[in-house]
Amino acid sequence: MKRLAAMLAGLLLAIPAAATDYVALPGGDFASVVPADGKAALAHIAPFRLRTEPVTNAEFQAFVATHPQWRRDRVAPVFADSNYLAHWSGADTLGTGALPQQPITRVSWFAAQAYCESEHARLPTWYEWEYAAAADATRADARNDPAWRERVLAWYGRPSTTPLPSVGGAPDVHGVRDLNGLVWEWVDDFNALLVGSDSRDQDGADKLKFCGAGALSLQEKENYATLMRVAMLSSLKASDTTVNLGFRCARSP
Amino acid sequence: MSRLMSTLLIAASLLPVVALAGKTDSTASPAAASLAPLPVPVDFGPPQGDPIHAVLGVPPNVPPPIHRNYPAKVIVDLEVIEKEMPIAEGVTYTFWTFGGTVPGSFIRVRQGDTVEFHLKNAPDSKMPHNIDLHAVTGPGGGAASSFTAPGHESQFTFKALNAGLFVYHCATAPVGMHIANGMYGLILVEPPQGLPKVDHEYYVMQGDFYTTGKYREKGLQPFDMDKAIDEHPTYVLFNGREGSLTGDHALTAKVGETVRLFVGNGGPNLVSSFHVIGEIFDRVYTEGGAHTQENVQTTLIPAGGSAITEFHVDVPGSYTLVDHSIFRAFNKGALGILKVDGPENKAIYSGKQSDTPYAGNGTAPQAVAAPAPKAAATGPLSKADQLKAGEQSFNGTCAVCHQATGEGMAGVFPPLAKSDYLARQAKDHLISIPLHGLNGKVTVNGKDYDSVMPPLGQLTDDEVANILTYVLNSWGNPGGQVSKEEVSKVRAMPATASTGH
Amino acid sequence: MKRLLVLLLVMIGGHAFAATPLPRDSIYQLDISLTDQGGQTAMLAQRRGQVQVISMFYSSCTMVCPMIVDTMRATRNAVDEPQRDRLGLLLVSFDPARDSVDALRQYAARRKLDAPAWTLARAEPQAARQLAALLGLQYRQLPDGDFNHSSELILLDADGRILARSTVIGRLDPPFVEAVKHALGTP
Repeated sequence: MKRLAAMLAGLLLAIPAAATDYVALPGGDFASVVPADGKAALAHIAPFRLRTEPVTNAEFQAFVATHPQWRRDRVAPVFADSNYLAHWSGADTLGTGALPQQPITRVSWFAAQAYCESEHARLPTWYEWEYAAAADATRADARNDPAWRERVLAWYGRPSTTPLPSVGGAPDVHGVRDLNGLVWEWVDDFNALLVGSDSRDQDGADKLKFCGAGALSLQEKENYATLMRVAMLSSLKASDTTVNLGFRCARSP
Repeated sequence: MSRLMSTLLIAASLLPVVALAGKTDSTASPAAASLAPLPVPVDFGPPQGDPIHAVLGVPPNVPPPIHRNYPAKVIVDLEVIEKEMPIAEGVTYTFWTFGGTVPGSFIRVRQGDTVEFHLKNAPDSKMPHNIDLHAVTGPGGGAASSFTAPGHESQFTFKALNAGLFVYHCATAPVGMHIANGMYGLILVEPPQGLPKVDHEYYVMQGDFYTTGKYREKGLQPFDMDKAIDEHPTYVLFNGREGSLTGDHALTAKVGETVRLFVGNGGPNLVSSFHVIGEIFDRVYTEGGAHTQENVQTTLIPAGGSAITEFHVDVPGSYTLVDHSIFRAFNKGALGILKVDGPENKAIYSGKQSDTPYAGNGTAPQAVAAPAPKAAATGPLSKADQLKAGEQSFNGTCAVCHQATGEGMAGVFPPLAKSDYLARQAKDHLISIPLHGLNGKVTVNGKDYDSVMPPLGQLTDDEVANILTYVLNSWGNPGGQVSKEEVSKVRAMPATASTGH
Repeated sequence: MKRLLVLLLVMIGGHAFAATPLPRDSIYQLDISLTDQGGQTAMLAQRRGQVQVISMFYSSCTMVCPMIVDTMRATRNAVDEPQRDRLGLLLVSFDPARDSVDALRQYAARRKLDAPAWTLARAEPQAARQLAALLGLQYRQLPDGDFNHSSELILLDADGRILARSTVIGRLDPPFVEAVKHALGTP
């Protein structure tokens, strides 16, 4: 009975999720802070569709109701650490610590992947994410504008002791919201960001550890706003969860 | 006999060799010839006894000395916490900290100890962090081994091979930003015999800070990367906050006692010329190493370096800790106080023996050992609040010359008490005096003064408003009120120093 | 349904382990399939029952991957007979686009990586990414087709739990060899 109720609730909640918006981004050549060849090559980004908003608590709750293997009391520890969904009041209830429209956080990469699969989507790649997040309200690439950088940095400087805002910030030129300034977001190839864990190791020393080109050299040192996100993602294991880490999904067209 | 003989023979046979060696060496530096071989750090062997949990020191306090005669396994638990804290009165900053304080918790171990280090990154941290301890012998000083995501804990172990006072800091990209946000502290590796006993040990660490707003601009101030790259700090501070070592937080000692300061410099950019006004360091462990220098006035502390200074306090009073790159002390906050209580010793220091003012070229010195003025709160204030805040600011900034009683100093600093000069000034001119300074002759209560009052550019609009309101309502002056808006209006006018009239 | 299929496959595989539930910290919790150099496709979980050293590679790699292979071989040779025969060696490619079954077979032949000790396998791109994530390995493709990747040997017990890892490549890592021997039950 209880299960049925949960399922019904899940179905009801699933309705707004079904209305989830994806918008088309044109892609193209993009100067990433993580150059494709470790030096200066541009990243080639194929056209793709990106979820306009990060996944919310309500949406993830609906997912858990229909995919009970992702409940926090059932998930295998290889797929999510012990803090997975720890802010929810129960394995399938949100409670006051997790409002429906707040972005989902404390989810592992595996859980994020599984969610996107349920939406017939995938996690965006790092290049897709970085390319999308370069936009502001009027430009596709606003990274050279100090105002863009400052907005990104202002979030890093805010301690996370206050509750997260709801999703639904101002849309950028593509119609995408909340890429910067709300939560960190998982990307599909987070484990492709081969950054040495000692950031001062400038080159070469890790040739054996990182076959071929060694650890990535981070270009655009000025663009440390993005560099810090790379540092964050590179510190994670796929089963990790943190209080500021959520995700959104992408689709190939 | 024969033994003596053979010894002599050997000595004789060595003579030419020595002479030859001397000749060869004469081209080399004499210092190099006299240097001992490089000392190899002593390994005292494996840890003994039960593991010990390190007691960490909260600045400006230091954990107690180690009275242990064997190497132990010492477990250090250090948590990284990102939090908003005051950087100056009315100004906050999001610090990234080792242990919730800037500088981070003071760690104290013994040479030869095996340190099992647990770095915890608080679950609500936004950033990954790590730690590079300069006391570690090994790549990165532990940085790669301690790279820790939010809500995780890393463990690594090192043996403290060298004694000394070492800096630790975060080394996550961008390194400079992590350090600028306060991620540094000190670890003392005591030599086996310990340090000589002193009466007080304190922990002081300098750092430079870069905010988008200017010095003392109110509210939460974000980090400014451009200023950091240009090495133009907004604040240079001891222990991460203006006023962290002044007023109620001053360091204390009594006449006749000995004081040891463990002084570090986290940087990220500036080198510190560390000085205690009115004291001479009897002994300095230069750069935190084993060798000591004596009778030092100012010791240079590199960014990412340290010094241990020791001195005996003989005369009561307030001793001001400064970075003797002195604008940093009085315009950027690098100032602390060591307050020494006890009986006077006139034989060592007489106190003031003569009261004759010296007008000289007429230049009034800026405040010297004034405690850091308390800045006023933001927002519109009631007159009562203005008076209260104004009194604080006045005592911090103006009282050095004009005196807390407003009496000034005969012939040099004009009185503000019952001042007929003040009473006849138009408000805008009154406001312009602290903003732009005052040059030339003025007549106050029938006496002439010909000094230079420098502009007090560090004061904010509301501080100026509060000070003037306080002055107008004190010591028999006619009363009145000056608002922040009136000050900002005058500030917007062309800035020329007022002339007396 | 998929899960049922796994169960059936495991049962067909005839492993006694199928009777006991898989440990929750086993990498065999990952629901992916591998295709080996002989063209056989099987679920990852079917490798349950054997102590293994696992790593990831790509066959056109000229720099570190040959050393990974050599290190795996040397590690196995450091174990005495007959325990040696109970140790499986599994290399999974993160270059599924170029590492076809044929490419893997040719590579195995060239390097004398003989079955049944050696398994060289490919997985679909998403499965390879998941396996790498689970094993804590990093990789990225470069514009010229090569890969940047971390190089580690990982020791799995018979139930797929990670027992030890080694970043020592190009020579033996004695503690890792000890861990392998211990896992195989040699003194």
